[in-house]
Amino acid sequence: MSLILDNWLLFARGLLATLQIGIVTLIASTIIGFVLGTLATTRRRSVRLVVRGYVELLRAVPLIVNIFFIFFGAPLLGLQMTPYMAAVVGLSLWGGANGAEIVRGGLMGVPRHQAQSARALGMTEVEIFVYILLPQAMRAIIPALAGLLTLLVQSTTLGALVGVPEFLQISRLIVERTTVMQGSDPAFAIYAFVLLVYFVLCSALTALSRRLERMLASGSARKTPTMTVEATAVS
Amino acid sequence: MTAQPASEAPLIAVRGLTKRYGAMVAIDNIDFSVRRGEVVSIIGPSGSGKSTFIRCLNGLEIPSEGEIAVDGKAVPLADHRAWTRLRPDLGMVFQDYSLFPHLSVLRNITLPPLLRKRMKEAQAKERAHELLARFGLSHKADAYPIELSGGQQQRIAIIRALAMSPKALLFDEPTSALDPETIRDVLAVMLELAREGMTMIVVSHEIGFARQVADRLVFMEKGRIVEAGHPDELISRPQSPRLADFLRHLKH
Repeated sequence: MSLILDNWLLFARGLLATLQIGIVTLIASTIIGFVLGTLATTRRRSVRLVVRGYVELLRAVPLIVNIFFIFFGAPLLGLQMTPYMAAVVGLSLWGGANGAEIVRGGLMGVPRHQAQSARALGMTEVEIFVYILLPQAMRAIIPALAGLLTLLVQSTTLGALVGVPEFLQISRLIVERTTVMQGSDPAFAIYAFVLLVYFVLCSALTALSRRLERMLASGSARKTPTMTVEATAVS
Repeated sequence: MTAQPASEAPLIAVRGLTKRYGAMVAIDNIDFSVRRGEVVSIIGPSGSGKSTFIRCLNGLEIPSEGEIAVDGKAVPLADHRAWTRLRPDLGMVFQDYSLFPHLSVLRNITLPPLLRKRMKEAQAKERAHELLARFGLSHKADAYPIELSGGQQQRIAIIRALAMSPKALLFDEPTSALDPETIRDVLAVMLELAREGMTMIVVSHEIGFARQVADRLVFMEKGRIVEAGHPDELISRPQSPRLADFLRHLKH
């Protein structure tokens, strides 16, 4: 315990870096996911193909390779990227691709006749998307997206490999430093603390998504709470 | 908009309507018109193009060729915006009711007019309550579609179309997904609307309804109108062997 208190400033800096990468990545991934996921359901074949290509490419590449590629590839294009930027961009592009798949799946899950009957009532395509399709798709999207975002928070640790002083990296530094300076190995205690911190971060995200899900369900499916639970369990 | 009285002109006039999917011809050069206040029943074997035909009338399917005029005004077939503006004038009721499951009954009815007509919220709600009361569904205003029977959902779908003050209603097999007991409730609503002078085009196999309500019965096959005329006439004395055959099958 004293170890953690002694090094609290370092831990705080690491945690701050992790939170910064995490928050920017979550927001960017969600935005990219919704934009591309929506585009993946348009009638234009060319648009769908471009989105498909992007999604397939990023989902096929290991996340760390993607981050390396951006970190070492960007200078070749004349872009100077800090490790922090490379981690954020790499994680966001990957998260966005996976988010797009989730959003696309959610939208495709809404029965076709929903858009058709909305159209018959004189709604424009934008209104149909905003008022009819998206609200219904959200029930499938939210739990899956929460899962993705949790995974992204965990993946911020990959930033360490391009030199971002994020939480795990700092913790490792503290372990090494303490070992050298005091001759005792505090690895177990420190990593137990690290585990706890990630657990708290990710559980908070999951709890938030559960809450959102309940809020959505309380509207339309008052009579079928069991159905929503089943759907969540399957996905 | 001119002040010219349009009552003489047909409400919906179709000429040379053709719809192709690739090499498949779904609708083959149909001429058709409906007068104001007329009720037309369309029957025909599955795959005869009757659903496609009424979907062409409000642009849910864009015709490949032909002319459509509503209320004397030609519709530019390729103009999506024109269709969007026109569609609520030709309210449509589908086989699978298609209520929006995430919205309450009241919201289902008020959302489209709020979006389109810029009606005030209070006004739209009042109109919805009026319609619900008229068809004996007031107590369901705050229910969600999942809590209603199929027949109730279908009646709400009709009310939802009526809330847009349509000039005509198009029914695409409105009773084929319903239980026999609830079919009667839906048909009763349609009957009442017909009596009030609503212009209606009904794709359905409810021969009884056609006989009782329709001014004209149309028999379609292979994308064409094979026979049309007064229902009693057509049913008792079919001219074509295909219609005679079809009616025999329907009775069994």
